[in-house]
Amino acid sequence: MLNFQKSLSFLPFFEIATPNIISIILYLSIIRFRINPSNTTLFLVGLVHDIITGANLGITPIFLLLLKYLTESLFLDRLVKKSDDEWISFTIIFLFSFSIVLLLNVMMNLSIPQFSPIFFHIGITLILFPLINISINFFSFVTKLIKS
Amino acid sequence: MVSGKPSKLKSFKSSRNFNFILILLCLSLVFLGKLDLIAIRNIKGFLSDFLAPITYALNKPVKEIAGVFEDVKSAGSLREENIRLKSEIRKLNVINSKASSQEHELLELRELLKVLPKRKNQIITARAITAPGGIFANTVLINAGKDYGVKIGQPAISPLGLVGFVVNVGIKTSRIILIIDINSMIPIYLTSSNWPAIVQGQSGELLKIKFLSSKAKPIEGEMVQTSGHGGKFPSGINVGKVVKSFSGNFYVKPSIDFQRLTYISIITNKNSLPIFPKSFQGFAPLQKPKSSISLKGLNLSGKRIIESKEN
Repeated sequence: MLNFQKSLSFLPFFEIATPNIISIILYLSIIRFRINPSNTTLFLVGLVHDIITGANLGITPIFLLLLKYLTESLFLDRLVKKSDDEWISFTIIFLFSFSIVLLLNVMMNLSIPQFSPIFFHIGITLILFPLINISINFFSFVTKLIKS
Repeated sequence: MVSGKPSKLKSFKSSRNFNFILILLCLSLVFLGKLDLIAIRNIKGFLSDFLAPITYALNKPVKEIAGVFEDVKSAGSLREENIRLKSEIRKLNVINSKASSQEHELLELRELLKVLPKRKNQIITARAITAPGGIFANTVLINAGKDYGVKIGQPAISPLGLVGFVVNVGIKTSRIILIIDINSMIPIYLTSSNWPAIVQGQSGELLKIKFLSSKAKPIEGEMVQTSGHGGKFPSGINVGKVVKSFSGNFYVKPSIDFQRLTYISIITNKNSLPIFPKSFQGFAPLQKPKSSISLKGLNLSGKRIIESKEN
Protein backbone atom coordinates (compact mmCIF):
# COMPACT_ATOMS: atom_id res chain seq x y z
CA MET A 1 0.00 0.00 0.00
CA LEU A 2 2.84 2.39 0.87
CA ASN A 3 4.46 1.60 -2.43
CA PHE A 4 1.18 2.26 -4.24
CA GLN A 5 0.90 5.56 -2.38
CA LYS A 6 4.33 6.59 -3.57
CA SER A 7 3.77 5.43 -7.13
CA LEU A 8 0.72 7.71 -7.33
CA SER A 9 3.12 10.57 -7.97
CA PHE A 10 3.44 9.27 -11.54
CA LEU A 11 -0.11 10.49 -12.10
CA PRO A 12 -0.35 14.11 -13.26
CA PHE A 13 -2.91 15.01 -10.59
CA PHE A 14 -0.57 14.02 -7.74
CA GLU A 15 2.52 15.68 -9.15
CA ILE A 16 2.86 18.07 -6.20
CA ALA A 17 2.29 15.48 -3.48
CA THR A 18 0.57 12.16 -2.97
CA PRO A 19 -2.26 11.56 -0.47
CA ASN A 20 -1.51 9.65 2.71
CA ILE A 21 -3.73 6.66 1.96
CA ILE A 22 -2.01 4.42 4.50
CA SER A 23 -3.11 6.67 7.38
CA ILE A 24 -6.76 6.50 6.21
CA ILE A 25 -6.61 2.73 5.91
CA LEU A 26 -4.90 2.32 9.27
CA TYR A 27 -7.42 4.57 10.99
CA LEU A 28 -10.44 2.91 9.39
CA SER A 29 -9.14 -0.57 10.07
CA ILE A 30 -8.84 0.25 13.79
CA ILE A 31 -12.08 2.23 14.13
CA ARG A 32 -14.43 0.46 11.77
CA PHE A 33 -13.15 -3.07 11.35
CA ARG A 34 -11.44 -3.46 14.75
CA ILE A 35 -8.37 -4.84 12.98
CA ASN A 36 -5.42 -3.83 15.05
CA PRO A 37 -2.11 -4.17 13.22
CA SER A 38 0.74 -5.01 15.58
CA ASN A 39 3.32 -2.40 16.50
CA THR A 40 6.11 -4.54 15.09
CA THR A 41 4.34 -4.80 11.72
CA LEU A 42 3.89 -1.02 11.56
CA PHE A 43 7.52 -0.50 12.55
CA LEU A 44 8.81 -2.86 9.87
CA VAL A 45 6.44 -1.56 7.18
CA GLY A 46 7.50 2.00 7.96
CA LEU A 47 11.17 1.08 7.79
CA VAL A 48 10.71 -0.59 4.41
CA HIS A 49 8.88 2.52 3.18
CA ASP A 50 11.74 4.74 4.35
CA ILE A 51 14.23 2.55 2.53
CA ILE A 52 12.17 2.65 -0.68
CA THR A 53 11.64 6.41 -0.57
CA GLY A 54 15.10 7.28 0.73
CA ALA A 55 13.69 9.29 3.63
CA ASN A 56 15.37 9.46 7.04
CA LEU A 57 15.18 5.99 8.58
CA GLY A 58 12.49 5.91 11.25
CA ILE A 59 10.29 8.79 10.09
CA THR A 60 7.44 6.70 8.64
CA PRO A 61 7.40 4.20 11.56
CA ILE A 62 7.07 7.13 13.98
CA PHE A 63 4.14 8.48 11.96
CA LEU A 64 2.38 5.11 11.78
CA LEU A 65 2.97 4.27 15.44
CA LEU A 66 1.80 7.70 16.55
CA LEU A 67 -1.30 7.37 14.41
CA LYS A 68 -2.09 4.00 15.96
CA TYR A 69 -1.31 5.20 19.48
CA LEU A 70 -3.56 8.26 19.17
CA THR A 71 -6.37 6.37 17.47
CA GLU A 72 -6.33 3.67 20.13
CA SER A 73 -5.80 5.55 23.33
CA LEU A 74 -7.00 9.11 22.94
CA PHE A 75 -9.94 9.20 20.63
CA LEU A 76 -11.32 5.74 20.10
CA ASP A 77 -13.85 5.59 22.93
CA ARG A 78 -14.14 9.19 23.98
CA LEU A 79 -14.63 11.19 20.81
CA VAL A 80 -16.00 8.92 18.13
CA LYS A 81 -19.63 8.51 19.04
CA LYS A 82 -21.15 8.81 15.60
CA SER A 83 -19.84 8.09 12.16
CA ASP A 84 -19.98 11.85 11.42
CA ASP A 85 -17.35 12.41 14.10
CA GLU A 86 -14.94 10.04 12.40
CA TRP A 87 -13.79 12.67 9.96
CA ILE A 88 -13.13 15.21 12.72
CA SER A 89 -11.26 12.73 14.88
CA PHE A 90 -9.23 11.54 11.87
CA THR A 91 -8.37 15.15 11.03
CA ILE A 92 -7.15 15.78 14.58
CA ILE A 93 -5.16 12.55 14.78
CA PHE A 94 -3.66 12.92 11.30
CA LEU A 95 -2.74 16.57 11.76
CA PHE A 96 -1.17 15.89 15.16
CA SER A 97 0.90 12.92 13.94
CA PHE A 98 1.90 14.73 10.75
CA SER A 99 2.93 17.90 12.62
CA ILE A 100 5.19 15.91 14.92
CA VAL A 101 6.87 14.17 11.98
CA LEU A 102 7.16 17.46 10.10
CA LEU A 103 8.72 19.13 13.13
CA LEU A 104 11.17 16.26 13.43
CA ASN A 105 12.11 16.66 9.78
CA VAL A 106 12.59 20.40 10.12
CA MET A 107 14.82 19.77 13.13
CA MET A 108 16.86 17.16 11.28
CA ASN A 109 17.30 19.21 8.10
CA LEU A 110 17.59 22.59 9.83
CA SER A 111 15.46 24.22 7.15
CA ILE A 112 11.79 24.73 6.49
CA PRO A 113 10.41 23.06 3.36
CA GLN A 114 8.06 24.69 0.87
CA PHE A 115 4.54 24.70 2.25
CA SER A 116 2.52 24.14 -0.93
CA PRO A 117 3.26 20.36 -1.22
CA ILE A 118 2.60 19.93 2.50
CA PHE A 119 -0.76 21.68 2.32
CA PHE A 120 -1.65 19.71 -0.78
CA HIS A 121 -0.68 16.47 0.99
CA ILE A 122 -2.82 17.29 4.03
CA GLY A 123 -5.71 18.63 1.98
CA ILE A 124 -5.93 15.74 -0.44
CA THR A 125 -5.72 13.21 2.43
CA LEU A 126 -8.54 14.92 4.32
CA ILE A 127 -10.64 15.12 1.15
CA LEU A 128 -10.04 11.44 0.36
CA PHE A 129 -11.04 10.26 3.83
CA PRO A 130 -14.81 10.83 3.52
CA LEU A 131 -14.73 9.50 -0.07
CA ILE A 132 -13.13 6.23 1.04
CA ASN A 133 -15.47 6.12 4.04
CA ILE A 134 -18.55 6.61 1.87
CA SER A 135 -17.42 3.96 -0.60
CA ILE A 136 -16.89 1.49 2.29
CA ASN A 137 -20.38 2.34 3.61
CA PHE A 138 -21.81 1.82 0.15
CA PHE A 139 -20.16 -1.56 -0.25
CA SER A 140 -21.27 -2.71 3.19
CA PHE A 141 -24.82 -1.53 2.38
CA VAL A 142 -24.81 -3.43 -0.90
CA THR A 143 -23.47 -6.61 0.73
CA LYS A 144 -26.12 -6.35 3.48
CA LEU A 145 -28.78 -5.85 0.82
CA ILE A 146 -27.59 -8.89 -1.10
CA LYS A 147 -27.50 -11.00 2.08
CA SER A 148 -31.00 -9.96 3.11
CA MET B 1 -13.69 -16.76 37.21
CA VAL B 2 -11.57 -14.19 35.50
CA SER B 3 -13.37 -11.74 33.27
CA GLY B 4 -11.93 -10.76 29.88
CA LYS B 5 -11.84 -7.00 30.52
CA PRO B 6 -8.85 -6.66 32.93
CA SER B 7 -6.71 -8.96 30.78
CA LYS B 8 -7.68 -6.92 27.70
CA LEU B 9 -6.78 -3.71 29.52
CA LYS B 10 -3.46 -5.22 30.59
CA SER B 11 -2.60 -6.28 27.06
CA PHE B 12 -3.67 -2.86 25.77
CA LYS B 13 -1.38 -1.16 28.31
CA SER B 14 1.56 -3.41 27.48
CA SER B 15 0.92 -2.79 23.76
CA ARG B 16 0.92 0.94 24.44
CA ASN B 17 4.23 0.66 26.29
CA PHE B 18 5.68 -1.34 23.44
CA ASN B 19 4.39 1.31 21.03
CA PHE B 20 6.16 3.98 23.05
CA ILE B 21 9.41 1.97 23.11
CA LEU B 22 9.24 1.53 19.35
CA ILE B 23 8.69 5.28 18.86
CA LEU B 24 11.82 5.93 20.95
CA LEU B 25 13.71 3.36 18.89
CA CYS B 26 12.59 5.11 15.70
CA LEU B 27 13.75 8.45 17.08
CA SER B 28 17.18 7.02 17.79
CA LEU B 29 17.18 5.51 14.28
CA VAL B 30 16.43 8.92 12.79
CA PHE B 31 19.40 10.44 14.62
CA LEU B 32 21.66 7.51 13.75
CA GLY B 33 20.61 7.78 10.12
CA LYS B 34 21.53 11.43 10.11
CA LEU B 35 25.04 10.58 11.35
CA ASP B 36 25.54 8.80 8.01
CA LEU B 37 27.28 5.74 9.48
CA ILE B 38 28.88 3.40 6.97
CA ALA B 39 27.07 0.38 8.42
CA ILE B 40 23.65 2.01 8.01
CA ARG B 41 24.58 3.17 4.52
CA ASN B 42 25.56 -0.40 3.58
CA ILE B 43 22.36 -1.85 5.04
CA LYS B 44 20.33 0.73 3.11
CA GLY B 45 22.21 -0.12 -0.09
CA PHE B 46 21.69 -3.84 0.41
CA LEU B 47 17.98 -3.45 1.16
CA SER B 48 17.51 -1.12 -1.81
CA ASP B 49 19.08 -3.78 -4.04
CA PHE B 50 16.81 -6.39 -2.55
CA LEU B 51 13.62 -4.32 -2.80
CA ALA B 52 14.30 -2.76 -6.21
CA PRO B 53 12.65 -5.48 -8.37
CA ILE B 54 9.58 -5.57 -6.09
CA THR B 55 9.28 -1.79 -6.17
CA TYR B 56 9.65 -1.73 -9.94
CA ALA B 57 6.97 -4.39 -10.37
CA LEU B 58 4.57 -2.62 -8.00
CA ASN B 59 5.12 0.74 -9.67
CA LYS B 60 4.48 -0.63 -13.13
CA PRO B 61 0.62 -0.56 -13.11
CA VAL B 62 0.40 3.06 -11.92
CA LYS B 63 3.11 4.04 -14.41
CA GLU B 64 1.12 2.43 -17.20
CA ILE B 65 -2.06 4.25 -16.13
CA ALA B 66 -0.13 7.52 -16.02
CA GLY B 67 1.09 6.75 -19.55
CA VAL B 68 -2.49 6.28 -20.75
CA PHE B 69 -3.48 9.65 -19.22
CA GLU B 70 -0.53 11.26 -20.95
CA ASP B 71 -1.46 9.70 -24.30
CA VAL B 72 -5.07 10.84 -24.04
CA LYS B 73 -3.94 14.33 -23.08
CA SER B 74 -1.50 14.60 -25.98
CA ALA B 75 -3.96 13.10 -28.50
CA GLY B 76 -6.29 16.05 -27.97
CA SER B 77 -3.67 18.57 -28.90
CA LEU B 78 -1.86 16.73 -31.69
CA ARG B 79 -2.56 19.34 -34.38
CA GLU B 80 -1.39 22.28 -32.27
CA GLU B 81 1.62 20.28 -31.14
CA ASN B 82 2.51 19.50 -34.75
CA ILE B 83 2.37 23.17 -35.77
CA ARG B 84 4.43 24.16 -32.73
CA LEU B 85 7.04 21.49 -33.42
CA LYS B 86 7.36 22.52 -37.08
CA SER B 87 8.05 26.12 -36.12
CA GLU B 88 10.46 24.93 -33.46
CA ILE B 89 12.35 22.84 -36.04
CA ARG B 90 12.68 25.92 -38.27
CA LYS B 91 14.04 27.95 -35.37
CA LEU B 92 16.43 25.15 -34.37
CA ASN B 93 17.74 24.89 -37.93
CA VAL B 94 18.69 28.57 -37.87
CA ILE B 95 20.30 28.20 -34.44
CA ASN B 96 22.13 25.08 -35.58
CA SER B 97 23.64 26.80 -38.58
CA LYS B 98 24.79 29.71 -36.42
CA ALA B 99 26.13 27.37 -33.75
CA SER B 100 28.27 25.35 -36.15
CA SER B 101 29.99 28.49 -37.44
CA GLN B 102 30.51 29.72 -33.89
CA GLU B 103 31.85 26.33 -32.86
CA HIS B 104 34.51 26.55 -35.54
CA GLU B 105 35.44 30.04 -34.38
CA LEU B 106 35.54 28.88 -30.76
CA LEU B 107 37.88 26.00 -31.60
CA GLU B 108 40.26 28.39 -33.36
CA LEU B 109 40.22 30.81 -30.44
CA ARG B 110 40.78 28.00 -27.95
CA GLU B 111 43.76 26.90 -29.95
CA LEU B 112 45.16 30.42 -30.00
CA LEU B 113 44.70 30.86 -26.26
CA LYS B 114 46.01 27.37 -25.41
CA VAL B 115 42.98 26.70 -23.27
CA LEU B 116 43.16 23.67 -21.00
CA PRO B 117 41.08 20.94 -22.61
CA LYS B 118 37.96 19.88 -20.81
CA ARG B 119 38.00 16.57 -19.00
CA LYS B 120 36.04 13.98 -20.85
CA ASN B 121 33.49 12.45 -18.54
CA GLN B 122 32.35 8.90 -18.85
CA ILE B 123 28.61 8.66 -18.64
CA ILE B 124 26.41 5.69 -17.88
CA THR B 125 22.67 5.84 -18.28
CA ALA B 126 20.26 3.91 -16.09
CA ARG B 127 16.51 3.58 -15.68
CA ALA B 128 14.68 5.23 -12.79
CA ILE B 129 12.93 2.56 -10.75
CA THR B 130 10.95 4.59 -8.24
CA ALA B 131 8.74 7.66 -8.42
CA PRO B 132 10.43 10.86 -7.29
CA GLY B 133 7.57 12.31 -5.25
CA GLY B 134 7.62 12.63 -1.50
CA ILE B 135 6.93 15.16 1.18
CA PHE B 136 10.10 14.60 3.17
CA ALA B 137 12.44 13.05 0.62
CA ASN B 138 12.88 13.61 -3.08
CA THR B 139 15.02 10.75 -4.28
CA VAL B 140 15.03 8.31 -7.16
CA LEU B 141 16.39 4.79 -7.29
CA ILE B 142 18.20 3.78 -10.49
CA ASN B 143 19.19 0.33 -11.69
CA ALA B 144 22.95 0.86 -11.77
CA GLY B 145 25.25 0.50 -8.81
CA LYS B 146 28.79 -0.40 -7.87
CA ASP B 147 28.91 -2.93 -10.72
CA TYR B 148 28.82 0.01 -13.17
CA GLY B 149 31.28 2.15 -11.25
CA VAL B 150 28.72 4.44 -9.61
CA LYS B 151 30.06 6.15 -6.49
CA ILE B 152 28.62 8.45 -3.87
CA GLY B 153 28.69 12.13 -4.86
CA GLN B 154 28.71 11.61 -8.62
CA PRO B 155 26.42 14.01 -10.49
CA ALA B 156 23.26 12.76 -12.17
CA ILE B 157 22.08 14.47 -15.34
CA SER B 158 19.46 14.19 -18.03
CA PRO B 159 19.45 15.76 -21.51
CA LEU B 160 17.68 18.82 -20.07
CA GLY B 161 20.04 19.45 -17.18
CA LEU B 162 21.11 18.54 -13.68
CA VAL B 163 19.00 15.95 -11.87
CA GLY B 164 20.93 15.60 -8.61
CA PHE B 165 23.73 13.50 -7.21
CA VAL B 166 24.29 9.99 -5.90
CA VAL B 167 23.82 9.58 -2.14
CA ASN B 168 23.74 5.84 -1.69
CA VAL B 169 25.14 2.99 -3.74
CA GLY B 170 24.27 -0.68 -3.66
CA ILE B 171 25.67 -3.40 -5.87
CA LYS B 172 22.93 -3.14 -8.47
CA THR B 173 21.09 0.07 -7.53
CA SER B 174 21.92 3.63 -6.55
CA ARG B 175 19.90 6.36 -4.91
CA ILE B 176 19.96 9.85 -6.36
CA ILE B 177 18.95 12.85 -4.32
CA LEU B 178 17.14 15.33 -6.57
CA ILE B 179 18.07 19.00 -6.68
CA ILE B 180 14.60 19.85 -5.33
CA ASP B 181 15.27 17.93 -2.10
CA ILE B 182 15.77 20.01 1.01
CA ASN B 183 19.19 18.42 1.61
CA SER B 184 20.54 19.36 -1.81
CA MET B 185 22.76 22.41 -2.34
CA ILE B 186 24.29 23.16 -5.73
CA PRO B 187 26.89 25.84 -6.55
CA ILE B 188 25.60 27.79 -9.53
CA TYR B 189 26.13 30.99 -11.46
CA LEU B 190 23.73 33.29 -13.26
CA THR B 191 24.63 33.02 -16.93
CA SER B 192 23.87 36.64 -17.89
CA SER B 193 25.67 38.39 -15.06
CA ASN B 194 28.12 35.64 -14.00
CA TRP B 195 27.25 36.06 -10.31
CA PRO B 196 27.89 32.88 -8.31
CA ALA B 197 25.41 31.59 -5.75
CA ILE B 198 24.06 28.39 -4.25
CA VAL B 199 20.65 26.91 -4.89
CA GLN B 200 18.94 24.85 -2.25
CA GLY B 201 15.95 22.57 -2.72
CA GLN B 202 12.81 23.17 -0.71
CA SER B 203 10.99 19.88 -1.31
CA GLY B 204 8.80 21.82 -3.71
CA GLU B 205 9.05 22.81 -7.34
CA LEU B 206 11.30 25.85 -6.83
CA LEU B 207 14.89 26.19 -5.63
CA LYS B 208 15.95 28.86 -3.17
CA ILE B 209 18.87 31.10 -4.20
CA LYS B 210 21.33 31.51 -1.34
CA PHE B 211 24.57 33.45 -0.87
CA LEU B 212 23.90 35.66 -3.89
CA SER B 213 25.69 38.99 -3.72
CA SER B 214 23.52 41.98 -2.88
CA LYS B 215 24.98 43.68 -5.96
CA ALA B 216 23.60 40.97 -8.24
CA LYS B 217 20.45 41.75 -10.14
CA PRO B 218 18.92 38.51 -11.38
CA ILE B 219 16.77 38.77 -14.49
CA GLU B 220 13.57 36.81 -14.79
CA GLY B 221 14.06 33.96 -17.26
CA GLU B 222 17.85 34.05 -16.93
CA MET B 223 19.49 30.65 -17.27
CA VAL B 224 21.26 29.17 -14.27
CA GLN B 225 24.10 26.67 -14.65
CA THR B 226 26.44 24.80 -12.34
CA SER B 227 29.53 26.84 -11.55
CA GLY B 228 31.81 23.90 -10.83
CA HIS B 229 32.92 25.44 -7.54
CA GLY B 230 33.99 22.81 -5.05
CA GLY B 231 34.76 20.34 -7.81
CA LYS B 232 31.72 18.20 -7.11
CA PHE B 233 29.83 19.07 -10.28
CA PRO B 234 31.28 19.91 -13.68
CA SER B 235 30.59 23.49 -14.71
CA GLY B 236 28.05 24.45 -17.33
CA ILE B 237 25.27 21.97 -16.59
CA ASN B 238 21.82 23.51 -16.89
CA VAL B 239 20.00 23.84 -13.58
CA GLY B 240 17.00 25.96 -14.48
CA LYS B 241 15.65 29.45 -15.02
CA VAL B 242 15.26 32.39 -12.64
CA VAL B 243 11.66 33.12 -11.71
CA LYS B 244 10.24 35.92 -9.60
CA SER B 245 7.70 35.20 -6.91
CA PHE B 246 4.74 37.42 -5.94
CA SER B 247 6.73 38.63 -2.94
CA GLY B 248 9.50 39.84 -5.25
CA ASN B 249 12.02 37.15 -4.27
CA PHE B 250 13.92 35.28 -6.92
CA TYR B 251 13.87 31.50 -7.20
CA VAL B 252 15.13 28.97 -9.69
CA LYS B 253 12.70 26.74 -11.53
CA PRO B 254 14.47 23.50 -12.52
CA SER B 255 14.58 22.76 -16.23
CA ILE B 256 13.71 19.12 -15.56
CA ASP B 257 10.27 17.71 -15.05
CA PHE B 258 11.10 15.26 -12.27
CA GLN B 259 7.81 13.39 -12.64
CA ARG B 260 8.72 12.36 -16.18
CA LEU B 261 12.21 11.11 -15.39
CA THR B 262 12.73 7.73 -17.01
CA TYR B 263 16.43 7.62 -17.78
CA ILE B 264 19.16 9.26 -15.74
CA SER B 265 22.83 9.53 -16.68
CA ILE B 266 25.60 9.42 -14.11
CA ILE B 267 28.92 11.09 -14.75
CA THR B 268 31.21 8.36 -13.49
CA ASN B 269 34.53 10.13 -14.26
CA LYS B 270 36.14 6.76 -14.84
CA ASN B 271 38.67 8.02 -17.34
CA SER B 272 39.37 11.30 -15.61
CA LEU B 273 42.96 12.26 -16.12
CA PRO B 274 45.15 14.07 -13.61
CA ILE B 275 45.28 17.79 -14.40
CA PHE B 276 49.06 17.84 -14.70
CA PRO B 277 50.49 14.46 -15.78
CA LYS B 278 54.15 13.62 -15.13
CA SER B 279 55.15 14.33 -18.68
CA PHE B 280 53.41 17.69 -18.70
CA GLN B 281 54.88 20.03 -21.30
CA GLY B 282 52.31 22.76 -21.52
CA PHE B 283 48.70 22.85 -22.47
CA ALA B 284 47.84 20.76 -25.49
CA PRO B 285 45.65 22.59 -27.98
CA LEU B 286 42.44 21.05 -29.10
CA GLN B 287 42.42 19.04 -32.27
CA LYS B 288 41.49 20.84 -35.43
CA PRO B 289 38.25 19.75 -36.99
CA LYS B 290 38.85 17.23 -39.74
CA SER B 291 38.81 18.71 -43.21
CA SER B 292 36.53 15.96 -44.46
CA ILE B 293 33.79 16.95 -42.07
CA SER B 294 31.28 19.19 -43.72
CA LEU B 295 30.30 22.14 -41.59
CA LYS B 296 26.71 22.82 -42.34
CA GLY B 297 25.89 26.41 -41.56
CA LEU B 298 27.63 29.72 -41.96
CA ASN B 299 31.35 30.24 -42.27
CA LEU B 300 33.28 33.11 -40.69
CA SER B 301 32.51 35.48 -43.54
CA GLY B 302 28.83 34.77 -43.11
CA LYS B 303 28.49 32.70 -46.28
CA ARG B 304 26.34 29.63 -45.94
CA ILE B 305 28.08 26.30 -46.51
CA ILE B 306 25.79 23.45 -47.30
CA GLU B 307 27.90 20.89 -49.12
CA SER B 308 31.05 19.25 -47.83
CA LYS B 309 34.46 20.65 -48.78
CA GLU B 310 35.35 17.56 -50.71
CA ASN B 311 32.36 18.06 -53.01
